[in-house]
Amino acid sequence: MPLAPVRWGFLVLVMLLAACAPSSNAQGPVVRNRIVYGLTLMPSGFDPHIHSSSELGIPLRQVYDTLVYRDPTTGDFVPGLATEWTVSEDGLTYTFTLRQGVRFHDGTTFNAQSVASNLERITDPATASQRAAFLLGPYLNHRIVDEYTIQIVLSEPYSPLLDALSQVYLGMASPTAFGQYSLNRYQFHQIGTGPFMLVDYVPGDHLTLRRNPDYAWGPPFYTEPNERSVDEIEFRFYEDEASRSLAIESGEAQVMGELPPIDARVLTGNADIRINPVAVPGQPLQFIINTARYPTDNLAVRRALLYGANRNAIADTVFQRFSPIAWGPLSANTLYYNREVINAYANDTGQALALLNQAGYADNDNNGYLDFAGVDLTIDVIVPPWGKIPEVAQLLQDQWRTLGIRVNLKPVPTRGALLEEVEKGEYNLVAYYSFGVDPALLDEYFMSNAPFNWSNYSNPDLDMLLTEARRQLDPNARRDLYAQAQRLIMEEALILPVRDYVNLNAVSASLSELAFDAYGWYPLLNNLQVAGG
Amino acid sequence: MPLVRRILWAAIVVWLTATAAFIALRLLPGDAIAAQLMDSGADAAAIQARRDALGLNDPWTVQYIRFLAGLLRGDLGESLNSGQSVSELIAFNLGPTITLAGAALAVAIGLGLGLGLAAALPGWRIVGGAARFAISLGLSTPIYWTGTLAIYVFTVQLALLPSGGAGRLSQLILPAAVLGFHTATGVARVVQHSVQSAAGADFVRVARAKGLPERHVWLRHVLRAGLLPVTTVIALQAGFLLSGVVITEALFVRPGLGRLLLDATLRQDYPVVQGVVMLTAVMYVAVNTVADLLNRLLDPRVRV
Repeated sequence: MPLAPVRWGFLVLVMLLAACAPSSNAQGPVVRNRIVYGLTLMPSGFDPHIHSSSELGIPLRQVYDTLVYRDPTTGDFVPGLATEWTVSEDGLTYTFTLRQGVRFHDGTTFNAQSVASNLERITDPATASQRAAFLLGPYLNHRIVDEYTIQIVLSEPYSPLLDALSQVYLGMASPTAFGQYSLNRYQFHQIGTGPFMLVDYVPGDHLTLRRNPDYAWGPPFYTEPNERSVDEIEFRFYEDEASRSLAIESGEAQVMGELPPIDARVLTGNADIRINPVAVPGQPLQFIINTARYPTDNLAVRRALLYGANRNAIADTVFQRFSPIAWGPLSANTLYYNREVINAYANDTGQALALLNQAGYADNDNNGYLDFAGVDLTIDVIVPPWGKIPEVAQLLQDQWRTLGIRVNLKPVPTRGALLEEVEKGEYNLVAYYSFGVDPALLDEYFMSNAPFNWSNYSNPDLDMLLTEARRQLDPNARRDLYAQAQRLIMEEALILPVRDYVNLNAVSASLSELAFDAYGWYPLLNNLQVAGG
Repeated sequence: MPLVRRILWAAIVVWLTATAAFIALRLLPGDAIAAQLMDSGADAAAIQARRDALGLNDPWTVQYIRFLAGLLRGDLGESLNSGQSVSELIAFNLGPTITLAGAALAVAIGLGLGLGLAAALPGWRIVGGAARFAISLGLSTPIYWTGTLAIYVFTVQLALLPSGGAGRLSQLILPAAVLGFHTATGVARVVQHSVQSAAGADFVRVARAKGLPERHVWLRHVLRAGLLPVTTVIALQAGFLLSGVVITEALFVRPGLGRLLLDATLRQDYPVVQGVVMLTAVMYVAVNTVADLLNRLLDPRVRV
């Protein structure tokens, strides 16, 4: 019977031994400025030309350079691997003059042929690109003019092309590496021209970047590296929400994204950690309202739902006041955001009730719910599990319940299930959002023939505004068109915007200069430094 | 030949599991490719073309036959999302999972026997009470809770052990201890019960009547009989271990089959889920077959 005590003793011994190991390394001299950066999702693949997650760009954005960049403060396009570019009169041909003296991490020289190889790889059907190919829109082909000049030819005018070319999905990779590694192997051996090089990628475990010592062709907002610059970054995957704040508190990670708001609130009291909330441009968290189904086919009911929603209460509780309230179809830091929508349909239960009464709803049977023709006012809401949507939907259910509206929540487990539920058409509201800087993303949701026209709204005026804005190259004209589109969407109450998406980052106080690019998700790792002093 | 029959049965169980997984995945709502291309700007035609290329528009029967034919050739297909071969994904994730499951099983056997005996043996009042409390705690709390608590105490407060990653021994201790503890309490409960009922059995009374010293009665008779079911319960706990691995890997930020399965399920990556489910079935059946054979060797009564 001495078996059990022996096992116990062994276990304790192992624990003691292991306990000694990490504490002895922890105090050693720092050879490099190395940090651990916590990612929150394990992308199924890490090839930016093939895969589509936002998460992959967090490390890879700075492994690659793009032809153009968006300035993080102004949002304007600035030179990247292309020093200048011109657009033909008809908007169909973009001519890029490429930077000379740029070398990929494997020594390959960057030139027009490199750009051509990248475009060919992305648009090849065999690549089965999940995002990059679609970002190119009406891309037709390319033309190499000379070693450092290339043209991109479109089949129709498409103003978001530069936006596409400034994203990591169209990062320029080494054609030599394409030849060396098969389509699905390349992701483990990525070669770009950026300020960081991919050292290794072990799926599910980590991805390591090291500074590229030869880098000398960054966009204007990349700072010169110095002795305090971070030069090695290990990315780890903290998929479980609860593990994130624990990792940053214990010092296992120095940067962590997507903290749950409650944990972020708790960490604000910790002097060793800073909370860095970054609003991500695109669509806010919104409930798209179905105009083709009773009772939300009635504009008065849609408006009453908006007036009856107390977004302050939601922002205070679910998002712990880290997120700005959303008022329109675009987040406030998205290009051409129309400030006129601010405070549209601010919480006003009196107004909501008046609208419903005018529409003929009253509690005739005294059951606590408004009714019309003997039927209670009932709405069905499709609720996906991500982005704290279930919590938001529950609060809305309560808020609308006090107005006398019965709310059925229909939870769906996955995106696929969400699409299938929408396909059935038996919903009044469905929660969704997407990211991007260029408001052309509205096309996907609000054009009459859009794949995600979940409001089932069809209006030639709105179609015309969005189509014209997509073709138009003049920024002022685009701004004006999108302003009208945003106003129209809110006048028709096609959505209930809730809050701008905010990535709640936690940063160790030992780091400084953590900033993010115009797209919100991607840190400017190049500028990251260990704190001085 | 009982051995041949057992192996045949095992093969049938694996085939049935594979079929069940195949059907269940296709009954789940939603389409993997439509979901994958949701925010990409792809139109319906592009989505259909992608589905065609992957053979997802073929009738279920055709897909099922293709799946079985692949299995016979040892080909589990390719991930719908990453394009990597499923065998490769599994091979990569198998090591960390086996390491974690093996370490947790070692903890579970040691701790399970220890707790079970401490709770069952007479005269150990305080130790027995503590053991019974630990067993109830392990059985009634989720891994999630104990795991979070363990990370909070050992990593955040005491800074003794890392909470995440895989590869180093120190990274294995917390997850193996937590998963092992929960697996152990199932073992301990059976040990406790089995030893206690053996202690009250007729042959023990006979042994005492013969005048054997108490030490002898316990070591030769009670424990020998009482510990026999342990091999079976350990084999059954292997199932618990494999499901516990999913949560443990997520919480302790380790690569492994559990996370592979979880991510693939959420992305409706049919080939990956099928592959992992098949492998899990093979492992479960193998462990149980071995346990049955071992039992046959250890317990003369089973052979009768």
